[in-house]
Amino acid sequence: MPETMPRLLCYARSRCTSVEQIDDQTMRSTCRLQDSLTDAVVEILVKLPDLEIIDAQGEFRRTYQDECRTPAEGLKKVIGVRVGPGMLKIIKGLVGEVSECRQLAFMVEECCHGVILAFTKDQLAQAPVEQHQNVEYYRKMIRNNIRLYNRCAAFAPGSSMVEGIEPPTK
Amino acid sequence: MLKFMRKKMVSIYRKDQETLSVHGILDDDIYSLELDLDISVADLEILAINGKWNRWTTPECRRSDQFLQEAVGFRNEEGLSQKVHKIIGRKSCRHYANLLLECWHSAREAALAAQWEEAKAGRPDLTLEAFLAGAPVSRSEVREEKLSPPAEISEKPKPKAKEIEILHEKATGGTLIDLHVHTSPASPCSSAPVDALIEEAKKIGLDGICLTDHNYVWSAAEVENLRRKHSFLVLRGNEITTDQGDMLVFGLDKDIKGIIKLDELREEVKKVGGFMIVAHPFRGFLVVGATQIGLTPEKAMERPLLKSVDAIEILNGKVTERENKFAADVAAGLNLPATGGSDAHEVDEVGQYATQFFQEIKNEEDLVAALKSGNYAPVVYRK
Repeated sequence: MPETMPRLLCYARSRCTSVEQIDDQTMRSTCRLQDSLTDAVVEILVKLPDLEIIDAQGEFRRTYQDECRTPAEGLKKVIGVRVGPGMLKIIKGLVGEVSECRQLAFMVEECCHGVILAFTKDQLAQAPVEQHQNVEYYRKMIRNNIRLYNRCAAFAPGSSMVEGIEPPTK
Repeated sequence: MLKFMRKKMVSIYRKDQETLSVHGILDDDIYSLELDLDISVADLEILAINGKWNRWTTPECRRSDQFLQEAVGFRNEEGLSQKVHKIIGRKSCRHYANLLLECWHSAREAALAAQWEEAKAGRPDLTLEAFLAGAPVSRSEVREEKLSPPAEISEKPKPKAKEIEILHEKATGGTLIDLHVHTSPASPCSSAPVDALIEEAKKIGLDGICLTDHNYVWSAAEVENLRRKHSFLVLRGNEITTDQGDMLVFGLDKDIKGIIKLDELREEVKKVGGFMIVAHPFRGFLVVGATQIGLTPEKAMERPLLKSVDAIEILNGKVTERENKFAADVAAGLNLPATGGSDAHEVDEVGQYATQFFQEIKNEEDLVAALKSGNYAPVVYRK
């Protein structure tokens, strides 16, 4: 392309996932997707404290994929699934049974991640601001949840976050 | 007021005829990061990648930047999502992995749209739908693993459980078995060759192991060969993923692929007189923040899935001690039998936890009968 050409976008995507607590027992997580080819929304209701999906609804207002136009059947499949470890495999498998729409399963996953991150945010809000205490806070979090050890670069051997913490299998 | 919001944006322009320039932003209540990628139009190969943190949780989060380069060379291939989660998500950062997949999937669609635009040059009235109906599959479609439809399951006799007693050493007499191990290549997530795992189990003093690979049925002949080869008790089981989580199943020969409804698996197990244990039922609940959501053992006991299982795995090598304790409290509250297993995925993990049966077990029929009797206890063995 000539260098003088403006760098116009050939594609754009915007995805927003929001989580609200609608009552003591229920959270609602909504994933909205708007991109050059798709306009869709998926919403799940999650019951506390089990984090069980009790309802799932959605709509694909604009899509180039026929398999995405009727998401209801695929969404019904995830009702009863609990948000938590192992959920991605379950969601992909269950939605995949009745729907070829990959975006649908991904949007349900995004909703579920939103729920988990909402609780993560609450925990992180308790972290001290002072650096030394902050590091100690995370070290304690890893000691209490040793599966976090080496789960990412920040918690990998060599990081100050895991100094003095024994790896889980040794 | 919203409890949480995450926004992601991806912008793509055509850098040149063969390359897309992709800019992605992830911005949420906790994190803010960006990715810049060059992706080839032809096969969606990641040619270059750079990341940048704007907001992070720990001062070490930015260590993840260096590992992003491992994504260079990733391309349109089966299992790409898993590869990104495994390599970038684990070595670098799961949020980078999430944004990378968002960028890559967007690039795939951008490439598709670009092909359509090229095709329209010769046929101006060509709609996207018509183009896709005849679009070349290899350039823009990723084959994700398609999980097969659910399979089938039966009624469980619930033996009266003893109060949960956890042993800390092998008992005299009886049979000590690690009820939950994974081998390679039967379980893709394991790196433990079956022969090495068996030899390790022997070395540390276990009396037997159960091969419980993911949705995998070992042939009876193959396992009999292993028994003879190693002069060691090797039994067959299966860890099957249901819509309610993973179940360890014994006595069922049926090969079940994909996600099965728990009720259906229960019927299958009941039909053959088998036994079903819920594996690591509270794995990760602390990471999610159980205290904030108010999950107590009493509330957890109300879970319908616990009415469908024969026992609970209360000692599992892949969960925290608190999660194991939580499972034990639930098992005690429900008077369900409790088992232990290492969930080994590496050779030196075998035997961390096990189950002490107080009678001799020589084969799979003995195992199922013993499980139904309730005459066993979970053991902290190698921990």
